[in-house]
Amino acid sequence: MKTTRLRHYLSAGTLAMLACAVLPPAVAEDGKAILNAKCMACHTPEGNDALSRISHQRKTPEGWLMSIARMQLMYGVKISDEDRRSVVKYLADRQGLAPSETDGMRYAMERRLNTVEKFDEPLNQMCARCHSGARVALQRRPLQEWERLVEFHLGRWPSLEYQMMSRDRDWLGLARNEVAPQLAKDYPLESQAWSDWQKSKPGADALPGQWSFSGHMMTRGDVRGVMSVTHDSGDTFNIEVKGQYADGTPFNGSGSAIVYNGYEWRGNLKIGDVRMHQVFAALNGEMKGRMFETEHDERGLDFSAARQDSPRLLAVQPAFIRAGNEAELTLVGSGLSGTPDLGAGVEVVKVLESTPQLLRVKVKAAADAAPGLRNVALGALKGVDLAVYTEVAEVKVVPAYSVARIGENGGTTPKVQGRFEAEAWGKGADGQPYRIGYLPAKWTVEPFNEQARDDEDVKFAGTMQRDGVFLPAGAGPNPQRRMMANNVGNLKVIAQLEEGGLQGEGQLIVTVQRWNSPPLP
Amino acid sequence: MKLQFIGRMAATSLGLFAICTAAGVGLAFAASDVPANASGPALKPGKEYLLATNYPNNLHLIDVASDTLYKTCQMPDAFGPGAAQVAPDKKVAYVLNNHYGDIYGIELDTCKTVFHARLAFKPGEQAKSMLSLAVSPDGKELYSVANPTQILNDHYAVQAPRLQVYATDAGLNAQPLRTFEVPRQISIMQAADDGSLYMAGRDIYKLDVKTGQYSVALPTGSWKRPLYSPPDLLYIWSHQTARRDFSLLYTAAKYKDEKQDADTADFVYGYVSVDLTTGKTQVQDFAPVTEVYFTGMRSPKDPNQMFGVLNRLAKYDIKQQKLIKAANLAHSYYCISFDKAGSKLYLTGTFNDVAVYDPDSLELVANIKLPGGDMATGTAQVFTR
Repeated sequence: MKTTRLRHYLSAGTLAMLACAVLPPAVAEDGKAILNAKCMACHTPEGNDALSRISHQRKTPEGWLMSIARMQLMYGVKISDEDRRSVVKYLADRQGLAPSETDGMRYAMERRLNTVEKFDEPLNQMCARCHSGARVALQRRPLQEWERLVEFHLGRWPSLEYQMMSRDRDWLGLARNEVAPQLAKDYPLESQAWSDWQKSKPGADALPGQWSFSGHMMTRGDVRGVMSVTHDSGDTFNIEVKGQYADGTPFNGSGSAIVYNGYEWRGNLKIGDVRMHQVFAALNGEMKGRMFETEHDERGLDFSAARQDSPRLLAVQPAFIRAGNEAELTLVGSGLSGTPDLGAGVEVVKVLESTPQLLRVKVKAAADAAPGLRNVALGALKGVDLAVYTEVAEVKVVPAYSVARIGENGGTTPKVQGRFEAEAWGKGADGQPYRIGYLPAKWTVEPFNEQARDDEDVKFAGTMQRDGVFLPAGAGPNPQRRMMANNVGNLKVIAQLEEGGLQGEGQLIVTVQRWNSPPLP
Repeated sequence: MKLQFIGRMAATSLGLFAICTAAGVGLAFAASDVPANASGPALKPGKEYLLATNYPNNLHLIDVASDTLYKTCQMPDAFGPGAAQVAPDKKVAYVLNNHYGDIYGIELDTCKTVFHARLAFKPGEQAKSMLSLAVSPDGKELYSVANPTQILNDHYAVQAPRLQVYATDAGLNAQPLRTFEVPRQISIMQAADDGSLYMAGRDIYKLDVKTGQYSVALPTGSWKRPLYSPPDLLYIWSHQTARRDFSLLYTAAKYKDEKQDADTADFVYGYVSVDLTTGKTQVQDFAPVTEVYFTGMRSPKDPNQMFGVLNRLAKYDIKQQKLIKAANLAHSYYCISFDKAGSKLYLTGTFNDVAVYDPDSLELVANIKLPGGDMATGTAQVFTR
């Protein structure tokens, strides 16, 4: 029941700083020297340049940053930010994960905190009950290191084995005898993927160039543009972004980036006045991931980009058209040329603009075009769908289940907003549902259940704006509320399409501040 | 719907142990206005007092007759959890504190620290007690289960839990007289009149404090109650009652039939108890689960009445398993206590006020503001000097 918690744990913002400083070229040698100087006091040299514990683990840059931060916070290691960056870089390069080893788990690095995880037992209850399962699945260790992680957990948080879903079992016995061996089997230190990656990972020269990008910022719309990457030194880069939202609002800015382990791209830039962080996997001429505000990681966009020498169709914006309508569509990608084939019943009326990165076309969907998805093709380029619809069959609120958090009001923790879009679904000629896309909607909140109604959650928990952004209320006990409760709430989020009026519902939990928000949740 | 309920319970229990419930945080570090080293007046023999602790490190004594704060002692080192046990002669309170790592004996008449034991006593170890603290019936020995971990240069090694037995006159650098390995997951404990120690863990164990031999007094972890799920039992409030009753609340599913379908099951609240004068144990349901109670206590006046508290104060008829009455509260309270006569009921925990209720009418009769901050999960104790 020890209450020592990492209240001042490194925030995502600190992580962003990791990327923002320019590393000197001699970083590798420095990293090793600093590692030895700072860590050998406790970590025993084992020969072959190895140090006890440290040399037997692989993890993400965020994972290494958290480990070093823990050494600072719990054991008083004194290390400058600059030296820490060097050590993180050194370790993340040499003891990282192969790209395939991060499959399905990147949401944790990308700070998609509304992800509902699905881990099998016993990991779900034994690990993911307190922190994300991804935090575990983004590490590789041999059995002894997984065992030591168990000992560390119970030693550091002795109340752990008394909590619900622990006290009903021999927690330590189960953790030592079943969970650690399973982790060693599922997430071993040595793997074919890792040894293959070490041989094949690209150098820094794979990244400079013109990157055409496409993204979608929740509640704000589609974004597109070009990110210019120039080499700075070592694995660091300068970046310049020139783009715009679908409504024409500029999306311009510049900053710097660093690449770990040949593909883990972390950028830090300013778009207008807003500081943003990039967490991408940069592989084979493509970047994929999420770009989010440094101070508000709930505000972000899904991002994909293709380099100029890597012809690719990234997106069609918007990716839907109503049968019988004319509309302007923008294809985003690299190496684009020609006239797209948009499938049966959709005709390109005119090519309005054509560059290798962007193809703007006026199209018409026939009134009798069959509802459903069409594969968009531009020469040999494929991989993007266009939805044609006659009517919306269903509206889903995205995210269907999410968490906003109260904050500020004299406290140091910022509010975490809710951000929603109304996702329209159609019914195809085959009777199967298909995704149309995000459509404009009116937004309201209602009490989720009787308890929420009795507690007046709608009144206290915050405000739903017209644009689908939920602004939570201030933090702290509220004397105006029954039992002086905080301004928490359990809300039904209702989207009503502006056209047609069809409704969809989601659930929003408005809860208290997250006191401990490490880079990997 | 039932499953959702379990989910809520889980959230509550986790919150409780992290001590981060919404209501609890705000006042945690409010400054105390009590002067340091004040000894205050001595307690008066024959008078009844309520003892409560709070941040930053206060030990309060409330005069039960007048429901006013009688005095406040300052305790050494850091707060948490502030769980107190009062010696049989009512002269000293033993408090588990300093982040669950130390036990302090505070002489109530003088506010002097007369006993101190650091639970970690081997080189390189850390040891925390999860509310395990009890005093022998003769007042000569103090018991606590420590959960030690060896902190090595680059790793931790969790050690087996130890019951540590101290002489209460061992002073300010007390070392254990005896230690015995005990099962993991031990929380609260009480010593019975015959000297044996009852410890709550996955089962309720009865331990011989001379030999360390223990047996299962109540198999809560593996009870054989037909059509009942195993109980969920976490109770960190070790009330010392005039009735010499060691009770803990549980919840369990009561299935309709052998299929053990959770969707159709009833969920029940109950208590397990040990009569510390006779050693007699009891397992008794008292209510359908409709809301969460952190603590429950039977009325000294009418032991067929069970009172429970968290977000409401509720009163049940145990035999009938029926709610008699419930009262809304100004905020959450964790811990319930009665005066000896059972004519007043005290609610503590969370904030820094003690609410006094009439157990018959469930009307609020007084509210006592304490200097300092949050009482958190501490157990209030009522005793007669």
